[in-house]
Amino acid sequence: MKTSLKCLTIASLLMPFAAQAQMPNDAIYMGKNQLCVAGMYSHTSWNQYWENTFKRENFNIGTQTTQSVMLMPAFGISKRVNVIMSLPYIWTNNSAGNLMGQHGIQDLSAWLKVKAVQTGGFSLNAIVGGSIPMGNYVASFMPMSIGMQCRTFTGRLLANYKEKRTGLYITAYGSYGWRSNTKVDQDAYLADNRVYNTNQVSVPNTYDAAVRLGVLRKGWQTEVWAEHVSCLSGDNIRRNDMPFLTNNAKATSVGWYGKVQPRNIGVNARVGYVVDGQNVGQSTSYTVGLLYQINFKK
Amino acid sequence: MKKYNRILAIGSLVASLSIAFVSCDKSISEPQRVGYTPASIDEKAGNWKTYVLTAPTDVTVATPVSTSSSTYQAELTDLKSKSASLSQEQQEAVVYWGAGAVYRWNEIARELCARYNIPPASTPDGKYPVPDAANPLADPKFPFANPPYASRALAYLSVAQYDALVAAWSYKYKFNRVAPSKVDATVRVALPVSALPTYPSEDAVVAAASAVVLKAMFPGEVPFIEAKLAEHQNSRLWAGMNVASDLAAGVDLGNQAAAKVMARAKTDGMSAANNQAVTAGMIQAAKERGLTEVWVSQETPARPPMLPNFGAVSTWNFDKTTLLQIRPPAPPALNDANYQKDMAELQGINKSQTREQARIANYWADGPGSYTPPGHWHRTAANAANEAKYSEVRMARTLALVGTALEDAAIGCWDAKYYYYYPRPQQFGMKTSVGLPNFPSYPSGHSTFSAAAATVLTYIFPDKAADFQAEAVEASTSRVFGLIHYRFDSNGGLDHGNKIGTYAITRGKADGSGL
Repeated sequence: MKTSLKCLTIASLLMPFAAQAQMPNDAIYMGKNQLCVAGMYSHTSWNQYWENTFKRENFNIGTQTTQSVMLMPAFGISKRVNVIMSLPYIWTNNSAGNLMGQHGIQDLSAWLKVKAVQTGGFSLNAIVGGSIPMGNYVASFMPMSIGMQCRTFTGRLLANYKEKRTGLYITAYGSYGWRSNTKVDQDAYLADNRVYNTNQVSVPNTYDAAVRLGVLRKGWQTEVWAEHVSCLSGDNIRRNDMPFLTNNAKATSVGWYGKVQPRNIGVNARVGYVVDGQNVGQSTSYTVGLLYQINFKK
Repeated sequence: MKKYNRILAIGSLVASLSIAFVSCDKSISEPQRVGYTPASIDEKAGNWKTYVLTAPTDVTVATPVSTSSSTYQAELTDLKSKSASLSQEQQEAVVYWGAGAVYRWNEIARELCARYNIPPASTPDGKYPVPDAANPLADPKFPFANPPYASRALAYLSVAQYDALVAAWSYKYKFNRVAPSKVDATVRVALPVSALPTYPSEDAVVAAASAVVLKAMFPGEVPFIEAKLAEHQNSRLWAGMNVASDLAAGVDLGNQAAAKVMARAKTDGMSAANNQAVTAGMIQAAKERGLTEVWVSQETPARPPMLPNFGAVSTWNFDKTTLLQIRPPAPPALNDANYQKDMAELQGINKSQTREQARIANYWADGPGSYTPPGHWHRTAANAANEAKYSEVRMARTLALVGTALEDAAIGCWDAKYYYYYPRPQQFGMKTSVGLPNFPSYPSGHSTFSAAAATVLTYIFPDKAADFQAEAVEASTSRVFGLIHYRFDSNGGLDHGNKIGTYAITRGKADGSGL
């Protein structure tokens, strides 16, 4: 243990270049044998939501808040192939009403990011990811539940163009998200206006699309983004009912992301706001993260 | 370097595992029920005691034509052409309805309860509009099929099915017309044929009686119910089981019997069940008996309590004097030692609810969007009767005994709830993991419903007694785990439900079935 700590310290002191944290939604890559660990805190809240297409408030919920802390290591297998993982601990609460907050470890995600094509400033990236629930949390107690208790698999194609001199870049991507069925504690439930006499629930698949526009320079990055995430099927929240796992959730969000990482230690931050949606809360979210980069080259 | 390779290896392992775990199958399997030959056809059921009809002759059935008549022969020819070859859709309808007429209509009724089980939303001025039977599909939809409403709808459905079938059995053996496939062996049948006479058709009797009750209980669903009624009748032709006159006579009988049953419904006091004017007197009386803090709605804006006068609705298996005699004893005074012990239990759960406690609370929650606890127990009863291969009439008797006990439980429980007007644990800081019902705490409705149903089911299926009792206790405890009831609410409800169930058993033992 001591040896490895020493090793890490030396590695970080010797880091000769600006470090770069990276995410499953950008074209930034860690170099070979570089590890970046991000510790992140997120805070998401809403006091209005869309019940089907009807936007409303609910005095028995008040403001719904979801917070999480997450560990997110990213590792460079080569400078064109990166692995990113994440594991969040999540907790929820309401400012009004009497629903019990939920908390626990959610799902472990892993992403593989491959720079398939690079010509000049243009790159085409293929990203695949999956997640598996780690905690035995309750999925059906929405909106308090911390996750959907289903396995997911996502395929994403990401195109990026970066102007070398200025660091100006534009990124666009689209993804298809497959989600497994989930099991609930109840052995009967209502969905699509009918009763299913089973504990298995079909969770709709998803797609998303986003554009990001920003500047990436040595040691810092700033960008604005817009994103649309939507289910491919599903039913709607009924009038005055609670949400359910089968709901066709849709959200269009805009936001900003920035990062400063002059050396091996850095910080990043993200803010987002849902401008339009269906069967979701109109949430405002922010994330702050501490980044720590280690170079394992000896 | 080795260490980092390991990290890499773990990373790729997780990535590949998550891919491997993913299969493309998103289908959902639900238990399938299929048709069977009844263990007994209960040929004496025409003499069983009915609930609302005084005798089978309260309803009339036309004398059928002889099977050798040209009229019957023409029906037979028509039947043969209809049952000769079936489309995929027709085959599915035959299998679906073949599982049992009472079984399927009970299931349909439960589904309607679930669809309509949602409390109205408040308006911008902080009021809760009352659902309007004359305008059932407007917001809020009529009805709000909450547990008392569901218990009553399902009780009337089961009673109408049972009374109509007893009358049908009487006429079946009066006329003794055999099944079409026994008149003409070339009729292709898709379901097991028993020795039961087919005029009038028991399926048509149940379908018509059920449709009358359900159209009254769910007036926004008339087209849906009529489509089911038509499909059910057609499925009997497609299956080669009944000729058209078997069905017509059955529909006629079912309509007549259900009309008589629904006449009781019109005067059973349900129209005054949501009379909010009675609560002031109830609160006053509870305070005079020493209650220091009364139940108040925990919703914002405050929601009027659910059906405060439901305790005045007519009971099935005992009279109003008995209702008051068996009312549960008073709950502990707030802050006495018994109260504090049970409150301490909730405080412990509130701090660290286990996953198993949450699972039990969720399994039995039966809240909005579900067919409610009465529906849950109807399902249990229907499945047990299906597994025991009960005849239609015995299946109906089972559900009528359980269904009337469940409505009696709702009436008795609601009477006690508003008599004691006891506050919920949420008034003293508890949160809930299942959602909070909007009516007083003591006694627990889940406990009363479950004990009443389990008691009746134990009488009908003694071999499964241990299962039903364990389920009732778990359903009762689930409300403590979900933090919306004190332990004494649950125990009080269980005792009360057991007593209520015994009245249904007394009736069952005296109904002439010998069961």
